[in-house]
Amino acid sequence: MDQELSLSEIRQGVNLPPVIKNITQKEINLYAEASGDFNPIHIDEAFAAKTPLGGTIAHGMLILAYVSEMMTKAFGQKWISTGKMAIRFKAPARPKDIITIGGIINSIEHRGDTPYAACNVEAHNQNGEIVVTGETMVKL
Amino acid sequence: MTSYTLDLSIISKYLMAVGLQSAEFVPPLAIAAYAMSALSKSLVLPAGTIHASQELEFFQPVPMGATIYCQGRVAQKLSRGKLNLLTIELSALNQAKEKVLSGKATLVLQN
Repeated sequence: MDQELSLSEIRQGVNLPPVIKNITQKEINLYAEASGDFNPIHIDEAFAAKTPLGGTIAHGMLILAYVSEMMTKAFGQKWISTGKMAIRFKAPARPKDIITIGGIINSIEHRGDTPYAACNVEAHNQNGEIVVTGETMVKL
Repeated sequence: MTSYTLDLSIISKYLMAVGLQSAEFVPPLAIAAYAMSALSKSLVLPAGTIHASQELEFFQPVPMGATIYCQGRVAQKLSRGKLNLLTIELSALNQAKEKVLSGKATLVLQN
């Protein structure tokens, strides 16, 4: 995990190394197979075209997987063992979108003697449109 | 509860789908996905259901090859005009019946 932040780097205001993903229908279909979520809004282009969304969209959980990838790269096993996330989906991610997932350490909080990194996270597409926004927390 | 044995053949599909080459432990969002899948066995969601928000908490890493036990339940259902909002609670336990993940999802269902 060569992007993992060292303890000295974990402080308020530090940007988390971003993750950039190209969304394709192929990957959406693969995620449907892997997760068992075959909601046609994700994989049936004819169905999705008739909805207000106008076309297929990526699974929300796929975008969350990218958020978790960013947090894992930054915090390593600390994220996998103690992480918390609260995420709101603001706009769909569509095939051919390029999604950039980033975050910033908002504060270092202490609960008793235990420090936690509280982060704001966000994913936006190539047009700057916010796809997801939320907060994460990791025990240090 | 629905059990999943997270052997490499299952996890490799997930890793390929999310663009990861490898993982030391089962990605926690993979566990969340399986917990959601467990719920779908008892709750049929209409086509076009949209994910509005998600909360998750991870308690310990899950090694490759482990078996997890997942469950989900509908915690709340609200109707607002033409939309139904569903709150789903998820959890996953390891083989020692220790919690590895819990969470809450809000889904928007079209009437």
